[in-house]
Amino acid sequence: MSKFMLRPLALAIIVAFVPLSNALAHCVVGNRFFPAMLATDDPCVADEMSLPTVQYNSANPSGREHDVGVDFAKRFTESFGVVVSSTWTRVSPPADAGTNGPIAYGFQNLVTTAQFQLLKDAQHELALLAGVIVNWGSSGAAGVGAAPWSAITPTFYFGKGFGDLPDGAGFLRAFAVTGQVGYEVPTTSLDLVSGNPVPQNLVWGTSLQFSMPYLKSSVVDLGLPDFFNHLIPIVEAQFVAPVANNFGNDFIITGTVNPGVIWVGTYFQVGVEAIVPINHASGTSIGGIAQLHLYLDDIFPTTLGQPLFGSSAPMKSMARR
Amino acid sequence: MRNVIAATILALPLAAGDARAHAFLDHAEPRVGSTVQTAPREVSLSFTQDLEPAFSGAEVRDASGARVDQGKAKISGSVMHLGLKALAPGTYKVNWHALSVDTHTTEGSFSFRVGP
Repeated sequence: MSKFMLRPLALAIIVAFVPLSNALAHCVVGNRFFPAMLATDDPCVADEMSLPTVQYNSANPSGREHDVGVDFAKRFTESFGVVVSSTWTRVSPPADAGTNGPIAYGFQNLVTTAQFQLLKDAQHELALLAGVIVNWGSSGAAGVGAAPWSAITPTFYFGKGFGDLPDGAGFLRAFAVTGQVGYEVPTTSLDLVSGNPVPQNLVWGTSLQFSMPYLKSSVVDLGLPDFFNHLIPIVEAQFVAPVANNFGNDFIITGTVNPGVIWVGTYFQVGVEAIVPINHASGTSIGGIAQLHLYLDDIFPTTLGQPLFGSSAPMKSMARR
Repeated sequence: MRNVIAATILALPLAAGDARAHAFLDHAEPRVGSTVQTAPREVSLSFTQDLEPAFSGAEVRDASGARVDQGKAKISGSVMHLGLKALAPGTYKVNWHALSVDTHTTEGSFSFRVGP
Protein backbone atom coordinates (compact mmCIF):
# COMPACT_ATOMS: atom_id res chain seq x y z
CA MET A 1 0.00 0.00 0.00
CA SER A 2 1.44 3.36 -0.98
CA LYS A 3 2.05 6.11 1.53
CA PHE A 4 -0.68 8.06 -0.24
CA MET A 5 -3.20 5.41 0.84
CA LEU A 6 -1.76 4.84 4.30
CA ARG A 7 -2.33 8.37 5.50
CA PRO A 8 -6.07 8.54 4.66
CA LEU A 9 -6.52 5.01 5.99
CA ALA A 10 -4.87 5.90 9.31
CA LEU A 11 -7.04 8.97 9.58
CA ALA A 12 -10.07 6.86 8.69
CA ILE A 13 -9.41 4.51 11.57
CA ILE A 14 -9.03 7.43 13.96
CA VAL A 15 -12.16 9.11 12.69
CA ALA A 16 -14.14 5.88 12.93
CA PHE A 17 -13.58 5.55 16.64
CA VAL A 18 -13.36 9.15 17.78
CA PRO A 19 -16.70 10.93 18.14
CA LEU A 20 -16.00 13.83 15.81
CA SER A 21 -19.05 15.54 14.53
CA ASN A 22 -20.53 18.83 13.68
CA ALA A 23 -24.19 18.64 13.48
CA LEU A 24 -26.76 21.08 12.45
CA ALA A 25 -29.97 19.20 12.62
CA HIS A 26 -31.96 16.19 11.53
CA CYS A 27 -35.24 17.88 12.19
CA VAL A 28 -38.41 15.77 11.93
CA VAL A 29 -41.64 17.37 13.19
CA GLY A 30 -44.71 15.26 12.43
CA ASN A 31 -44.96 14.81 8.67
CA ARG A 32 -42.32 17.48 8.11
CA PHE A 33 -38.59 17.09 7.71
CA PHE A 34 -36.63 20.34 7.86
CA PRO A 35 -33.27 19.78 6.18
CA ALA A 36 -30.04 21.20 7.54
CA MET A 37 -29.45 24.46 5.73
CA LEU A 38 -26.29 26.05 4.41
CA ALA A 39 -26.54 29.69 5.48
CA THR A 40 -28.94 29.57 8.41
CA ASP A 41 -29.78 26.93 11.00
CA ASP A 42 -32.76 24.63 11.23
CA PRO A 43 -34.95 24.78 14.34
CA CYS A 44 -33.94 21.54 16.07
CA VAL A 45 -31.24 20.07 18.25
CA ALA A 46 -29.76 16.98 16.67
CA ASP A 47 -26.80 14.68 16.27
CA GLU A 48 -25.37 15.64 12.92
CA MET A 49 -22.29 16.79 11.12
CA SER A 50 -21.52 19.01 8.15
CA LEU A 51 -18.27 17.89 6.61
CA PRO A 52 -17.38 19.87 4.70
CA THR A 53 -19.08 23.13 3.91
CA VAL A 54 -17.17 24.78 1.08
CA GLN A 55 -17.80 28.41 0.23
CA TYR A 56 -16.59 31.14 -2.07
CA ASN A 57 -17.68 34.71 -1.47
CA SER A 58 -16.69 38.21 -2.40
CA ALA A 59 -17.56 39.91 0.87
CA ASN A 60 -13.97 40.10 2.10
CA PRO A 61 -12.65 43.60 1.25
CA SER A 62 -9.11 42.22 0.95
CA GLY A 63 -9.86 39.90 -1.94
CA ARG A 64 -11.47 36.60 -2.87
CA GLU A 65 -12.31 34.37 0.07
CA HIS A 66 -12.55 30.59 0.08
CA ASP A 67 -13.79 28.82 3.21
CA VAL A 68 -13.86 25.18 4.27
CA GLY A 69 -16.00 24.61 7.33
CA VAL A 70 -16.84 21.79 9.69
CA ASP A 71 -19.82 21.71 12.06
CA PHE A 72 -20.49 19.09 14.68
CA ALA A 73 -23.74 18.97 16.63
CA LYS A 74 -24.29 16.77 19.64
CA ARG A 75 -27.31 16.36 21.90
CA PHE A 76 -26.55 16.26 25.62
CA THR A 77 -30.18 15.50 26.44
CA GLU A 78 -33.26 15.04 24.29
CA SER A 79 -33.82 18.83 24.29
CA PHE A 80 -30.35 20.34 24.79
CA GLY A 81 -27.44 20.24 22.42
CA VAL A 82 -24.25 22.00 21.41
CA VAL A 83 -22.87 22.81 17.98
CA VAL A 84 -19.14 23.40 17.43
CA SER A 85 -18.13 25.12 14.22
CA SER A 86 -14.72 25.73 12.73
CA THR A 87 -13.85 27.36 9.41
CA TRP A 88 -10.56 27.53 7.54
CA THR A 89 -10.22 30.55 5.29
CA ARG A 90 -7.95 31.38 2.38
CA VAL A 91 -7.93 34.93 1.06
CA SER A 92 -6.58 35.53 -2.44
CA PRO A 93 -5.95 38.84 -4.20
CA PRO A 94 -8.85 40.35 -6.12
CA ALA A 95 -9.42 38.85 -9.55
CA ASP A 96 -8.12 41.97 -11.27
CA ALA A 97 -4.88 42.06 -9.24
CA GLY A 98 -2.99 39.90 -11.75
CA THR A 99 -1.67 37.38 -9.21
CA ASN A 100 -3.06 34.22 -7.60
CA GLY A 101 -0.92 33.80 -4.49
CA PRO A 102 -2.75 33.83 -1.14
CA ILE A 103 -2.82 36.99 0.91
CA ALA A 104 -3.58 35.12 4.07
CA TYR A 105 -4.94 31.85 5.32
CA GLY A 106 -5.88 30.32 8.66
CA PHE A 107 -8.79 29.47 10.89
CA GLN A 108 -11.61 31.78 11.77
CA ASN A 109 -12.59 32.05 15.41
CA LEU A 110 -14.12 28.93 16.91
CA VAL A 111 -17.90 29.21 17.22
CA THR A 112 -20.05 27.26 19.67
CA THR A 113 -23.83 27.26 19.90
CA ALA A 114 -25.81 25.96 22.86
CA GLN A 115 -29.39 25.16 21.85
CA PHE A 116 -32.55 24.23 23.72
CA GLN A 117 -35.62 22.78 22.01
CA LEU A 118 -38.61 24.82 23.17
CA LEU A 119 -41.33 23.11 21.16
CA LYS A 120 -42.03 20.46 18.55
CA ASP A 121 -45.70 20.48 17.55
CA ALA A 122 -46.24 17.59 15.16
CA GLN A 123 -49.81 18.50 14.21
CA HIS A 124 -48.87 22.00 13.09
CA GLU A 125 -45.35 21.11 11.90
CA LEU A 126 -44.00 23.81 14.18
CA ALA A 127 -40.59 23.81 15.89
CA LEU A 128 -39.15 26.48 18.19
CA LEU A 129 -35.59 26.63 19.42
CA ALA A 130 -33.57 28.99 21.62
CA GLY A 131 -29.81 29.27 21.40
CA VAL A 132 -26.73 31.22 22.41
CA ILE A 133 -23.99 31.58 19.81
CA VAL A 134 -20.50 32.38 21.10
CA ASN A 135 -17.73 33.50 18.76
CA TRP A 136 -14.56 32.94 20.76
CA GLY A 137 -12.25 35.92 20.26
CA SER A 138 -8.55 35.41 19.47
CA SER A 139 -9.10 31.70 18.76
CA GLY A 140 -8.56 32.29 15.04
CA ALA A 141 -6.04 34.02 12.78
CA ALA A 142 -6.18 37.79 12.67
CA GLY A 143 -4.92 37.74 9.08
CA VAL A 144 -8.17 36.24 7.81
CA GLY A 145 -10.34 38.61 9.82
CA ALA A 146 -10.82 36.70 13.08
CA ALA A 147 -11.64 39.29 15.73
CA PRO A 148 -9.58 39.54 18.94
CA TRP A 149 -12.79 40.01 20.90
CA SER A 150 -15.60 37.55 21.50
CA ALA A 151 -19.24 38.01 20.61
CA ILE A 152 -22.32 36.52 22.23
CA THR A 153 -25.55 36.21 20.25
CA PRO A 154 -28.75 35.03 21.94
CA THR A 155 -30.83 33.65 19.07
CA PHE A 156 -34.39 32.43 18.54
CA TYR A 157 -35.19 29.96 15.76
CA PHE A 158 -38.46 28.75 14.29
CA GLY A 159 -39.67 26.38 11.58
CA LYS A 160 -43.20 26.04 10.25
CA GLY A 161 -44.51 23.64 7.64
CA PHE A 162 -47.75 24.33 5.82
CA GLY A 163 -48.98 20.76 5.86
CA ASP A 164 -51.81 21.70 8.22
CA LEU A 165 -53.49 23.72 5.47
CA PRO A 166 -56.69 22.14 4.10
CA ASP A 167 -56.28 19.43 1.46
CA GLY A 168 -57.60 21.92 -1.07
CA ALA A 169 -54.41 23.97 -0.70
CA GLY A 170 -52.69 21.25 -2.73
CA PHE A 171 -49.06 21.97 -3.56
CA LEU A 172 -48.89 24.84 -1.05
CA ARG A 173 -48.86 22.23 1.73
CA ALA A 174 -45.36 21.17 0.66
CA PHE A 175 -43.92 24.60 1.50
CA ALA A 176 -42.22 25.46 4.79
CA VAL A 177 -40.50 28.51 6.23
CA THR A 178 -37.76 28.80 8.81
CA GLY A 179 -36.22 31.80 10.47
CA GLN A 180 -33.85 32.97 13.12
CA VAL A 181 -33.19 36.29 14.80
CA GLY A 182 -30.39 37.13 17.22
CA TYR A 183 -28.77 40.09 18.92
CA GLU A 184 -24.95 40.06 18.75
CA VAL A 185 -23.14 41.64 21.68
CA PRO A 186 -19.34 41.94 21.38
CA THR A 187 -17.23 41.80 24.52
CA THR A 188 -15.62 45.14 23.65
CA SER A 189 -17.04 48.42 22.45
CA LEU A 190 -13.86 49.72 20.79
CA ASP A 191 -11.44 48.21 18.29
CA LEU A 192 -8.13 49.34 19.79
CA VAL A 193 -6.27 48.81 16.52
CA SER A 194 -8.47 50.84 14.22
CA GLY A 195 -10.00 53.08 16.85
CA ASN A 196 -13.48 52.33 15.51
CA PRO A 197 -16.42 51.40 17.69
CA VAL A 198 -17.49 47.75 17.58
CA PRO A 199 -21.24 47.77 16.98
CA GLN A 200 -23.89 45.53 18.43
CA ASN A 201 -25.75 43.84 15.59
CA LEU A 202 -29.17 42.51 14.86
CA VAL A 203 -28.61 39.25 12.97
CA TRP A 204 -31.45 37.51 11.23
CA GLY A 205 -32.16 35.03 8.49
CA THR A 206 -34.96 33.09 6.86
CA SER A 207 -35.65 30.35 4.34
CA LEU A 208 -38.49 29.33 2.07
CA GLN A 209 -38.38 25.70 1.01
CA PHE A 210 -40.48 23.37 -1.11
CA SER A 211 -40.21 19.73 -0.08
CA MET A 212 -40.56 17.20 -2.87
CA PRO A 213 -40.35 14.33 -0.31
CA TYR A 214 -43.28 15.91 1.51
CA LEU A 215 -45.20 16.36 -1.73
CA LYS A 216 -44.83 12.68 -2.56
CA SER A 217 -45.59 11.24 0.88
CA SER A 218 -48.32 13.62 2.08
CA VAL A 219 -49.89 15.59 -0.77
CA VAL A 220 -49.76 13.81 -4.11
CA ASP A 221 -47.51 11.13 -5.56
CA LEU A 222 -46.85 12.34 -9.10
CA GLY A 223 -44.87 9.24 -10.06
CA LEU A 224 -41.73 11.25 -10.74
CA PRO A 225 -38.30 9.62 -11.07
CA ASP A 226 -36.93 8.88 -7.62
CA PHE A 227 -34.16 11.49 -7.85
CA PHE A 228 -36.68 14.33 -7.99
CA ASN A 229 -38.54 13.02 -4.95
CA HIS A 230 -35.42 13.72 -2.84
CA LEU A 231 -35.07 17.39 -3.79
CA ILE A 232 -35.86 20.42 -1.67
CA PRO A 233 -35.53 23.66 -3.65
CA ILE A 234 -34.77 26.42 -1.19
CA VAL A 235 -34.07 30.15 -0.94
CA GLU A 236 -32.20 31.33 2.13
CA ALA A 237 -31.46 34.90 3.17
CA GLN A 238 -29.30 36.27 5.96
CA PHE A 239 -28.80 39.84 7.14
CA VAL A 240 -26.78 41.86 9.66
CA ALA A 241 -27.64 45.38 10.83
CA PRO A 242 -25.60 47.49 13.28
CA VAL A 243 -28.11 48.76 15.79
CA ALA A 244 -26.03 50.12 18.69
CA ASN A 245 -22.55 51.54 19.37
CA ASN A 246 -22.14 52.39 15.71
CA PHE A 247 -21.06 56.01 16.21
CA GLY A 248 -19.52 57.63 13.19
CA ASN A 249 -20.21 54.68 10.88
CA ASP A 250 -22.84 54.50 8.17
CA PHE A 251 -25.93 52.45 8.95
CA ILE A 252 -25.68 49.73 6.33
CA ILE A 253 -27.55 46.44 6.33
CA THR A 254 -25.46 43.70 4.78
CA GLY A 255 -26.67 40.31 3.70
CA THR A 256 -27.06 37.73 0.99
CA VAL A 257 -29.88 35.86 -0.71
CA ASN A 258 -29.03 32.25 -1.47
CA PRO A 259 -31.13 30.28 -3.96
CA GLY A 260 -30.27 26.61 -4.22
CA VAL A 261 -31.35 23.03 -3.81
CA ILE A 262 -30.80 20.26 -1.26
CA TRP A 263 -30.85 16.56 -2.13
CA VAL A 264 -31.97 14.52 0.88
CA GLY A 265 -30.93 10.90 1.28
CA THR A 266 -31.34 8.36 4.06
CA TYR A 267 -28.04 8.98 5.82
CA PHE A 268 -26.83 12.25 4.34
CA GLN A 269 -27.80 15.25 2.29
CA VAL A 270 -25.99 17.39 -0.27
CA GLY A 271 -26.78 21.06 -0.77
CA VAL A 272 -25.62 23.76 -3.20
CA GLU A 273 -26.55 27.43 -3.22
CA ALA A 274 -25.53 30.60 -4.97
CA ILE A 275 -24.61 33.54 -2.72
CA VAL A 276 -26.07 36.78 -4.06
CA PRO A 277 -25.01 39.95 -2.18
CA ILE A 278 -27.82 42.41 -1.53
CA ASN A 279 -25.53 45.43 -1.94
CA HIS A 280 -21.90 46.39 -2.60
CA ALA A 281 -21.05 46.27 1.09
CA SER A 282 -22.16 42.63 1.14
CA GLY A 283 -19.97 41.54 -1.76
CA THR A 284 -18.98 42.45 -5.27
CA SER A 285 -19.93 39.28 -7.14
CA ILE A 286 -22.00 36.13 -6.84
CA GLY A 287 -20.47 33.42 -4.70
CA GLY A 288 -21.34 29.83 -4.02
CA ILE A 289 -21.62 27.33 -1.20
CA ALA A 290 -21.83 23.53 -1.13
CA GLN A 291 -22.25 21.18 1.79
CA LEU A 292 -22.19 17.47 2.60
CA HIS A 293 -24.25 16.90 5.72
CA LEU A 294 -24.34 13.62 7.64
CA TYR A 295 -27.21 12.38 9.83
CA LEU A 296 -25.31 10.90 12.74
CA ASP A 297 -28.52 9.80 14.46
CA ASP A 298 -29.23 7.53 11.50
CA ILE A 299 -25.66 6.42 10.83
CA PHE A 300 -24.97 5.61 14.49
CA PRO A 301 -28.50 5.12 15.91
CA THR A 302 -27.47 3.40 19.14
CA THR A 303 -24.24 5.24 19.98
CA LEU A 304 -23.25 8.65 18.65
CA GLY A 305 -26.80 9.28 17.50
CA GLN A 306 -28.20 9.13 21.02
CA PRO A 307 -28.16 11.96 23.59
CA LEU A 308 -25.30 11.72 26.09
CA PHE A 309 -27.76 11.65 28.99
CA GLY A 310 -31.01 9.74 28.61
CA SER A 311 -32.26 8.16 25.43
CA SER A 312 -34.62 9.42 22.79
CA ALA A 313 -37.28 7.29 24.50
CA PRO A 314 -39.33 6.55 21.41
CA MET A 315 -41.03 3.62 23.07
CA LYS A 316 -42.56 5.90 25.69
CA SER A 317 -43.96 8.28 23.11
CA MET A 318 -45.29 5.49 20.95
CA ALA A 319 -46.94 3.84 23.93
CA ARG A 320 -49.15 6.89 24.40
CA ARG A 321 -50.87 6.22 21.10
CA MET B 1 -7.94 18.94 4.83
CA ARG B 2 -8.59 16.82 1.75
CA ASN B 3 -7.16 13.81 3.58
CA VAL B 4 -9.44 14.42 6.56
CA ILE B 5 -12.50 14.59 4.33
CA ALA B 6 -11.53 11.46 2.43
CA ALA B 7 -10.79 9.65 5.69
CA THR B 8 -14.11 10.56 7.21
CA ILE B 9 -16.07 9.38 4.22
CA LEU B 10 -14.09 6.14 4.26
CA ALA B 11 -14.59 5.74 8.00
CA LEU B 12 -18.33 6.18 8.23
CA PRO B 13 -19.33 2.79 6.83
CA LEU B 14 -16.70 1.12 9.04
CA ALA B 15 -17.98 2.77 12.18
CA ALA B 16 -21.65 2.67 11.33
CA GLY B 17 -21.94 -1.09 11.09
CA ASP B 18 -25.56 -2.15 10.66
CA ALA B 19 -26.89 1.37 10.32
CA ARG B 20 -30.61 2.03 9.88
CA ALA B 21 -32.64 5.16 9.80
CA HIS B 22 -35.98 6.89 10.12
CA ALA B 23 -38.86 5.05 8.45
CA PHE B 24 -40.46 7.49 6.02
CA LEU B 25 -43.35 6.62 3.74
CA ASP B 26 -41.92 5.70 0.35
CA HIS B 27 -45.15 4.98 -1.49
CA ALA B 28 -48.69 3.83 -0.87
CA GLU B 29 -51.54 2.02 -2.60
CA PRO B 30 -53.89 3.73 -3.28
CA ARG B 31 -51.35 6.37 -4.22
CA VAL B 32 -51.00 9.46 -2.10
CA GLY B 33 -53.45 12.10 -3.34
CA SER B 34 -54.91 9.85 -6.01
CA THR B 35 -58.49 9.14 -7.11
CA VAL B 36 -59.44 5.50 -7.63
CA GLN B 37 -62.59 4.37 -9.42
CA THR B 38 -62.96 1.12 -7.51
CA ALA B 39 -63.06 1.09 -3.73
CA PRO B 40 -59.88 -0.59 -2.45
CA ARG B 41 -60.13 -3.51 -0.01
CA GLU B 42 -56.98 -2.46 1.81
CA VAL B 43 -54.38 0.26 2.14
CA SER B 44 -50.77 -0.74 1.57
CA LEU B 45 -47.96 1.46 2.94
CA SER B 46 -44.32 0.91 1.96
CA PHE B 47 -41.66 2.53 4.13
CA THR B 48 -38.00 3.28 3.62
CA GLN B 49 -36.97 1.09 6.59
CA ASP B 50 -38.18 -2.03 8.34
CA LEU B 51 -40.77 -1.44 11.07
CA GLU B 52 -41.29 -2.64 14.62
CA PRO B 53 -44.79 -4.18 14.29
CA ALA B 54 -45.73 -3.72 17.95
CA PHE B 55 -45.31 0.05 17.77
CA SER B 56 -46.39 0.82 14.21
CA GLY B 57 -49.90 1.17 12.84
CA ALA B 58 -52.40 3.15 10.82
CA GLU B 59 -56.02 4.17 10.65
CA VAL B 60 -58.29 5.37 7.85
CA ARG B 61 -61.11 7.86 8.37
CA ASP B 62 -63.82 9.19 6.08
CA ALA B 63 -64.75 12.85 5.62
CA SER B 64 -66.90 12.79 8.76
CA GLY B 65 -64.05 11.40 10.84
CA ALA B 66 -65.47 7.88 11.21
CA ARG B 67 -63.02 4.97 11.14
CA VAL B 68 -63.36 2.85 8.01
CA ASP B 69 -60.43 0.50 8.55
CA GLN B 70 -60.99 -2.94 10.00
CA GLY B 71 -58.71 -5.37 11.71
CA LYS B 72 -55.18 -4.84 12.90
CA ALA B 73 -52.48 -3.63 10.57
CA LYS B 74 -50.34 -6.46 9.22
CA ILE B 75 -46.66 -5.58 9.03
CA SER B 76 -43.96 -7.49 7.26
CA GLY B 77 -40.55 -5.87 6.97
CA SER B 78 -41.08 -2.39 5.62
CA VAL B 79 -44.64 -2.89 4.34
CA MET B 80 -47.86 -2.34 6.26
CA HIS B 81 -51.28 -3.59 5.12
CA LEU B 82 -54.54 -2.37 6.64
CA GLY B 83 -57.95 -3.79 5.72
CA LEU B 84 -60.85 -1.51 4.83
CA LYS B 85 -64.62 -1.69 5.12
CA ALA B 86 -66.67 -1.24 1.96
CA LEU B 87 -65.94 2.35 0.98
CA ALA B 88 -68.53 4.66 -0.53
CA PRO B 89 -67.43 7.38 -2.96
CA GLY B 90 -65.70 10.14 -1.04
CA THR B 91 -62.40 11.35 0.40
CA TYR B 92 -60.48 9.31 2.95
CA LYS B 93 -57.55 10.17 5.16
CA VAL B 94 -54.84 7.71 6.19
CA ASN B 95 -52.96 8.44 9.43
CA TRP B 96 -49.90 6.28 10.11
CA HIS B 97 -47.22 6.06 12.74
CA ALA B 98 -44.06 4.02 12.62
CA LEU B 99 -41.20 2.91 14.78
CA SER B 100 -38.25 1.81 12.70
CA VAL B 101 -36.15 -1.08 13.93
CA ASP B 102 -33.49 1.36 15.16
CA THR B 103 -36.15 3.04 17.39
CA HIS B 104 -36.67 6.24 15.38
CA THR B 105 -40.32 7.35 15.38
CA THR B 106 -42.12 8.95 12.47
CA GLU B 107 -45.71 9.73 11.62
CA GLY B 108 -47.69 11.09 8.71
CA SER B 109 -50.95 11.28 6.86
CA PHE B 110 -52.33 11.55 3.34
CA SER B 111 -55.64 11.47 1.52
CA PHE B 112 -57.08 9.53 -1.39
CA ARG B 113 -60.45 9.68 -3.08
CA VAL B 114 -62.86 6.99 -4.21
CA GLY B 115 -65.18 7.71 -7.12
CA PRO B 116 -65.29 9.91 -10.16
